[in-house]
Amino acid sequence: MNLQVNGKSFAATPAPGECLRVFLRDLGWFGVKKGCDAGDCGACTVWVNEKPVHSCLYPAFRAEGKEITTIEGLAKGGELHPMQRAFLDAQSFQCGYCTAGMIMTAASLSDEQKNDLPRALKGNLCRCTGYGSIRDAFAGVKNVAPDVAGGSRGASVPNPFAEAIVTGRARYTSDIPPMDGLLHLKVLRSPHAHAKILSIDRSEAMAVPGVVEVFTWEDVPRRLYSTAIHEDNRVDPDDTYLLDNVARFVGQRIVAVVADTEGAAEEGCRRLKVEYEILPAVFDPEEAMEPGAPVLHDDDGDSHILHPEKNVFLELHGEVGSVADGFAEADAIYEDTYNAPRQQHVHLETMQSIAWRAEDGRLHVRTSVQGPFIVKGKLCYLFGIMPADLHVFTERVGGGFGGKQDMMSEDLPLLATIKTGRPVKWEFTREEQFTGATTRHPMKTHVKLGAKKDGTLTAMQFRLVSNTGAYGNHGGETLANGMSGPWAIYKCPNKKGDGYAVYTNLQCGGGFRGYGTGQPTFAVESALDELAALLNVDPIEMRRKNMIGPDDKMESVLEGASDLTMGSYGLDQCVDAVEKALASGRGLPKPEGVDWLEGSGVALSMLDCVPPTEQRSGSEVALRPDGGYHFTVGSVEIGNGLVTAQQQVVAQVMGCPSARVTFLNADTDETPYDSGTFASVGMMVPTKAVENASVALREKMLAFAARTTGTKPEECRLDDGAVMCGDQRMPLAELHSAAKREGEELLCFRKAYGSPRTVAFMAYGVRLAVHRVTGEIRILFNVEAVDTGVVMNPNQVRGQVIGGVVQGIGWALQEKMVYNAAGAVVNPTLRNYRIPAFADAPVTEVFFADTYDDIGPLGAKSIAENTINPVAPAIGNALKAATGVRFTTLPFSEDRIFAKLQGFEPA
Amino acid sequence: MNSFTFTRARTIADALRSARGDVKFLAGGTTLVDLMKLDVERPAGIIDLNALPLAEVRRTPDGGLHIGALARNSDVAHHPDVVRDYPLLSQALLSGASVQLRNMASTGGNLLQRTRCVYFRDAAMACNKRSPGSGCAAIGGFNRNLAILGTSAHCIATNPSDQNVALTALEATVHVTGSNGERSVPIGDFYLLPGQTPERETILEPGDLVTSVTLPPPAPGAGSTYVKLRDRASFEFALASAAVVVTIKGGVMQRARVAMGGIATKPWRNLDVEAALEGQPATRERFADAAQILLSDAKPQSRNGFKVELAKRCLVHALSVATAVT
Ligand SMILES: Cc1cc2nc3c(=O)[nH]c(=O)nc-3n(C[C@H](O)[C@H](O)[C@H](O)COP(=O)(O)OP(=O)(O)OC[C@H]3O[C@@H](n4cnc5c(N)ncnc54)[C@H](O)[C@@H]3O)c2cc1C
Ligand code: SF4
Ligand code: FES
Ligand code: FES
Repeated sequence: MNLQVNGKSFAATPAPGECLRVFLRDLGWFGVKKGCDAGDCGACTVWVNEKPVHSCLYPAFRAEGKEITTIEGLAKGGELHPMQRAFLDAQSFQCGYCTAGMIMTAASLSDEQKNDLPRALKGNLCRCTGYGSIRDAFAGVKNVAPDVAGGSRGASVPNPFAEAIVTGRARYTSDIPPMDGLLHLKVLRSPHAHAKILSIDRSEAMAVPGVVEVFTWEDVPRRLYSTAIHEDNRVDPDDTYLLDNVARFVGQRIVAVVADTEGAAEEGCRRLKVEYEILPAVFDPEEAMEPGAPVLHDDDGDSHILHPEKNVFLELHGEVGSVADGFAEADAIYEDTYNAPRQQHVHLETMQSIAWRAEDGRLHVRTSVQGPFIVKGKLCYLFGIMPADLHVFTERVGGGFGGKQDMMSEDLPLLATIKTGRPVKWEFTREEQFTGATTRHPMKTHVKLGAKKDGTLTAMQFRLVSNTGAYGNHGGETLANGMSGPWAIYKCPNKKGDGYAVYTNLQCGGGFRGYGTGQPTFAVESALDELAALLNVDPIEMRRKNMIGPDDKMESVLEGASDLTMGSYGLDQCVDAVEKALASGRGLPKPEGVDWLEGSGVALSMLDCVPPTEQRSGSEVALRPDGGYHFTVGSVEIGNGLVTAQQQVVAQVMGCPSARVTFLNADTDETPYDSGTFASVGMMVPTKAVENASVALREKMLAFAARTTGTKPEECRLDDGAVMCGDQRMPLAELHSAAKREGEELLCFRKAYGSPRTVAFMAYGVRLAVHRVTGEIRILFNVEAVDTGVVMNPNQVRGQVIGGVVQGIGWALQEKMVYNAAGAVVNPTLRNYRIPAFADAPVTEVFFADTYDDIGPLGAKSIAENTINPVAPAIGNALKAATGVRFTTLPFSEDRIFAKLQGFEPA
Repeated sequence: MNSFTFTRARTIADALRSARGDVKFLAGGTTLVDLMKLDVERPAGIIDLNALPLAEVRRTPDGGLHIGALARNSDVAHHPDVVRDYPLLSQALLSGASVQLRNMASTGGNLLQRTRCVYFRDAAMACNKRSPGSGCAAIGGFNRNLAILGTSAHCIATNPSDQNVALTALEATVHVTGSNGERSVPIGDFYLLPGQTPERETILEPGDLVTSVTLPPPAPGAGSTYVKLRDRASFEFALASAAVVVTIKGGVMQRARVAMGGIATKPWRNLDVEAALEGQPATRERFADAAQILLSDAKPQSRNGFKVELAKRCLVHALSVATAVT
């Protein structure tokens, strides 16, 4: 059939049943993305005869004779389409994976539709931005500042990938031409929550045309490990096998099939015959700890599980002071149990990897992960590969949020490549993201607080039960984290906490923005409002009275020496800013009518900027022959803006514009070692390494220049593009050649460690309206005040804040994973698991506290993670203020709300 | 997806002739292709209707409206006559799906879209609608979004469409062509209750082609609205929705048409509800009486009991908006 794509004629025949998305990608238009393959996300949006459609639901053969436009064809004659320009000016992206589709829809809208964006953008989801910068693009807002020499720190310089993102040239994991002999991998996942595999009959699967190999637990090295990515792997239990003969949750991978096409691999999976012996399963962590509950892991000591017989991977207990005394002193005591459920990350690019053996004889893995170096280590261990023979790297990663802090998609393709010698690709479907990947840990927090009449806290006690699912990856670290920040932010002489990370026959928890702190924050910040109400104290005053100050000791319930320090303190500014903003009356008015109730709420949060375990990174910075700079660093850019910030740090140290700085990151062959990009380390560790290397290089360059020109070192300084030695100006290109002539390398390597660690603070305030008839909630105004030290790039930080807030709104109001009685997720699609769309995202105000961190690079500290933490409790507090009812379980969905509301009762 | 043959129909006769055996018509494909990807639909052949001249929207001689089966949901929603005379239909269409989907989805395809019951869409689960006799995993399972009216012991799935609720309140007629010639069916008779045969959703026989939908002339002076309650502001099927058309004179409701979505196995109209409104003053109390009647035979399932109350509230709210009663 003939069709036009971006003005060029093509004659090609789609495979039967092929959708337009696949057809276009096969023709090389990689700007057409896949986020769901089901019409829900819009990442695949293209125009057919100028009208936007979801190409994943558009049969390819219907395109016959039609004119197709993809993002690559939107710019005409080298001129960007005005909408591309608007997205560029507003920097309306973070990971950029949704951007091509978003622009294709946006560019097609009439003026009338642009006035109704909530409706017009219904078909396009973005998980990163919270839609703030996308709204800006339509309003013609320019979010970029000029990139001037020496003025990098604190300037909203553009993302170095901006042009590539808005034109569809940015390359994500799958965006490479198909390799010769490429095989596709699919897995059969367990239909049972707990079962022993008795036999696997692969004969029919092997008979499917195109199927090349089938791998079962008998074909893989039987070595225990953990999928969790941490520098110190001993913090996670070694309780997992590559493929196992026991299934411990519905969705666990059982058999891998590789074939010439995805279709054949899928058919192969369907033809497998697996005989299971079904074992009793347990889904509730409290039940799992009871005597007689089914035991998930019989650890004979190799897995280091604390109480395998009780399904307890880890228990933590601690008390400072005496809560018994504290409660005895209290004038009021409040206690209740709060349930914080799972949340899936829904990074728009699913997990995926391609493995191959190259002509150099080595193995290569191109992947979408937050820690390529640790993945390499795990792969070497599992397959017995020499480190020199394996190369793991990322290109652009389409979002992570902690979901890619596990090794989940790399191992099986590599296994298949080793066994077949052919390149192998594995791409998780959206459904697999919901059934076979990780989620935020569901946690139940029982909280008890006591205070004096004036609001002074006398005791804080809690019991935290975390459901780690079938495996313990991240179960222990999230538990420890949840027992720290949310309790340490308030000074109180008596604190006690008991925590349990418990195995159940459900899918695993993983790392997720907040890393175990969001769930208890929901409990303690709600409880604090209840206690304030009992005492008739204003909730903000209650917080002011009890929150830690700059000179207070940060103390949770776990005693012991800690390297946590307060490199800067801005919590007071955050609270003031939120209070002022709420009092200003800004935002939307309450909708008209007596059925709408209105209320406000606030919540605070504190986060450790770097995990307590080992964390390290390194960076190499070099002067380029043309007088610019190049740095390498092992950290991953997952849409967090990290490389932009790193560019800015080099530019600031060197006194040049950011655009003069090039880089390479996240590549085990080409960049220094890095523990991984998670746990708020991005700024604190790898960027610190970049700063250290830059400073060292600057000193080296100045020393060399002084020597060559015979000037005193203290009279030399860097100027944009040159070294000034006294009055003498030596262009950097010249400096480079001079150094080369003398055999001097103008290149420095430095490392950084995640110690000591600092803390970041934030406060969130919200005013909302609730419809007492329908339970509908509308956010009228919301503000997040963040203390992130020196704000390296205000636009990017604002984007991280708004993105985190909107993810928090999703968790608070609409995201819910539902399991059936057999332990299977019944809503594994974006249609039934609802992340916020444009219409669900309010305009969020952002306030930056004015602080300088002594520990972070150039005074900056972490930001992206705890932006999410205070959102749900503040919304819960506002709901309570509006309705008088306390909701203790997330999400606050309409039916739960109106079911509890008094007032209007029809009939 | 399995492989299948593909035929492009150039004329209606062509389409009818090709429609033999295990084949499916393809309009926008937003339901069909989606279900084929999930292996829920596995037709041996596809007949593409998109070249047929059935996309027209025009006035009928009696002052009503003709909407071709291939008219795109986006074109109908923005059609000036629809916006002016049948705003409820426009509201219903715009409340559903997305710009991209509405550009593809057709009027006929929307009439025939399938349920969103999660078990129907999962080829591994028991579902009488998908494989008759296999059972119904939704009964006692995840049925939060399923029906409380019109259910049977075999199926409790909702008709998920917004359009069809509006068309029901507007008393549309569906025009069909098939091997037995042409037929016109009031929309109230078009959908079947699941009963013992949930796999049969409409009166269509195999090979029947929907050619158009017609609407009677707009009721003069009527107030109308479409209210849709759902779990988030955007892109979501209704938990409960109400399409109402009410004419008031001197504070009294002369004529009322009410259809409900999201709570029943087909777009739901109950004449007793309308009778309870007509001749009554437009007040919240009377609306509540009608809502009570509407839900009097409701059969809540394990997880959707909240819908009884939600549907009442939805109807009262819609009537208040349509009649401007606060
Ligand atoms: C992500 C997503 C969100 C959605 N949200 C909503 C929503 O909020 N509200 C809502 O109401 N809908 C929603 N929909 C459903 C959408 O409106 C329907 O899929 C669409 O209307 C179907 O029209 P189509 O032309 O694409 O049908 P097709 O998929 O082409 O066909 C559907 C069925 O009708 C048959 N058919 C089509 N035309 C004819 C004809 N002329 N004669 C006989 N048989 C025919 C086909 O054989 C097929 O069985 C959503 C869909 C998706 C994918
Ligand atoms: S409700 Fe109907 S569609 Fe859903 S599982 Fe039961 S039979 Fe199938
Ligand atoms: S990939 Fe097509 S809509 Fe998500
Ligand atoms: S920028 Fe939108 S999904 Fe990442």
